Amino acid sequence: MNGYKEVEHTADIALQVWAEDFYTLLIQAAKGLYALMGVEPTVAPSRQRLFTLPQGNKETILVDFLTELLFLAEEDGLFLSVFCFDDGQNVISVRSTGQKILTWSREIKAVTFHNLNVETTDQGFSATITFDV
Amino acid sequence: MNPITQKAFTKISDFEWEIPVDFRSDMRVPVRVFASQALLQDAFKDQSIEQAVNVSTLPGLVDAVMVMPDMHQGYGFPIGGVAGTDIETGVISPGGIGYDINCGVRLLASRITLEEATPFLSDLASMLNQLCPSGVGVGSQRKLSNADLVEVCIRGANWAKSDAYTETEDLERTEDQGCLTGADPGKVSSRAMERGRKQLGTLGSGNHFIEVDLVTEIYDEVAAGAMGLYVGELAVQVHTGSRGFGHQICTDYVRRLQGAVAKYGIKLPDKQLVCAPIASEEGQDYLAAMRCAANYAFLNRQILTNKVRQAFEIVLAGKVDQWHLRQVYDIAHNIGKFEHHLVNGVKKTVCVHRKGATRAFGPGTQGLPSEYQEIGQPVLVPGSMGTSSWVLTGTPTSMERSFGSCCHGAGRVMSRSEAKRNIWGETLLKELEKVGIEIRAGSMSGLAEEAPQAYKDVDQVVQSVVGAGIAKKVAVLNPLIVIKG
Repeated sequence: MNGYKEVEHTADIALQVWAEDFYTLLIQAAKGLYALMGVEPTVAPSRQRLFTLPQGNKETILVDFLTELLFLAEEDGLFLSVFCFDDGQNVISVRSTGQKILTWSREIKAVTFHNLNVETTDQGFSATITFDV
Repeated sequence: MNPITQKAFTKISDFEWEIPVDFRSDMRVPVRVFASQALLQDAFKDQSIEQAVNVSTLPGLVDAVMVMPDMHQGYGFPIGGVAGTDIETGVISPGGIGYDINCGVRLLASRITLEEATPFLSDLASMLNQLCPSGVGVGSQRKLSNADLVEVCIRGANWAKSDAYTETEDLERTEDQGCLTGADPGKVSSRAMERGRKQLGTLGSGNHFIEVDLVTEIYDEVAAGAMGLYVGELAVQVHTGSRGFGHQICTDYVRRLQGAVAKYGIKLPDKQLVCAPIASEEGQDYLAAMRCAANYAFLNRQILTNKVRQAFEIVLAGKVDQWHLRQVYDIAHNIGKFEHHLVNGVKKTVCVHRKGATRAFGPGTQGLPSEYQEIGQPVLVPGSMGTSSWVLTGTPTSMERSFGSCCHGAGRVMSRSEAKRNIWGETLLKELEKVGIEIRAGSMSGLAEEAPQAYKDVDQVVQSVVGAGIAKKVAVLNPLIVIKG
């Protein structure tokens, strides 16, 4: 099973994500991030973007990935929904496709490392990510 | 791990509590909490105290980790946390300052009476909303060149002076005169520069606001007089920070310092507490970049102040006797600075991290403008939307017990999702308008997240810091107009 849900945090916003493998976990986290931002994408045409993430531990890859999406949303107005990951020796190459953002309703300042652990579960992987808003 | 309870604390006074250093084996200094019994009890509902205990494990801490009564759970550091580190043996932690570097508050005073202003409040609200860019994804009216942004990083609010945005008195009445020395734009990433070029002079969203207030009570006439605050007259608060520029700088350095922790053999209970020795290359680079964001934020509030003054002039010139707004003070509540403090009777230079805490220097402290030397530094404590805000002053006790620091607001008690579940933005808007507050808000869901019910009672927070002796009451402000992104 794959999915995400918002969890309570007094001041900021936290997201619980779970997936059967790590790259699907990243995709679920992306979906959750856009949902928290209240993103409404345009319908067409689609846009493509290629970026890389340095290899590292799973927590760092997760934070780097979401931080990249936040930057692309704010700077280029991009909502990315299809991802293809290529696992290299030093970097992970990410090919992504999506649309321009029509509107979004909440500013997320950053993805934090607060108590972040990507855990192995019977069903795959899970993590709780705290965002600064 | 068992949750921390009241049993962990030693009572110092009705408003001051300490967790001793032997409470947990990895603590290096005690945790000192300024709060009433009731607010201390509230703190056990989230992880703010546990986070303060985590902070107390950082290397090179001096005296104690302090927590203000508006505390709530943050990420890494609690909001309302203050930590001072030895500049030779201690560390600097980006998480102890936060993503919105130099988020802060500016207060402007006027001689406009409520009676004079009442017929024009709706127009004034609309004009402020029109002139001050706010809301999610809203950029500035003027995109800076890279060279301009480099200048901004170095000169802070002084950059505005050369661009006719400011008055000399504004700078004198700004913490550090609106410019931290030691800023180095060369330590700022190209990504941060790109974001910073587009957002100067914008309010943002979330809990940032511009508020026109009425001075309703004065507790200290001498201090209020020095600040130009009089009952029955209008004042303005501007609450914002360094926008995407600061967020990106913090993001960059939290990431970079993940490696520094291992390099310098620092053990942390939470990855978000990443830090580096102040004397290290990583620590120095972060400090130089963080100061750029701090300077950007001082200027951001200065430019918005200019817009607020324009709005007042357009709407009120010729209709009221004096429409000019004079600056009372501008303070940061997310910042790290080198300051001189007496620690166990010895003068020491300390790197004071304030995360959701306001500087509150007492009377006679070096660096305060001459008119505030006798009364102490103005401390600005905004309440939640629709409730009172407070103007306080720092005291000799704040210098002795809290590294010259105080609370920064009401402090959240309800998560944003719970607030949205329980409060309907449109209903809240009508309720606030019914009590005579003009609201201009970018989003109804954002309004619901910032509802007064989501925050502590600011009066109780103020009662705690005054009871603890780290601040003195000066004046109460009540909102007439609220602009939110």
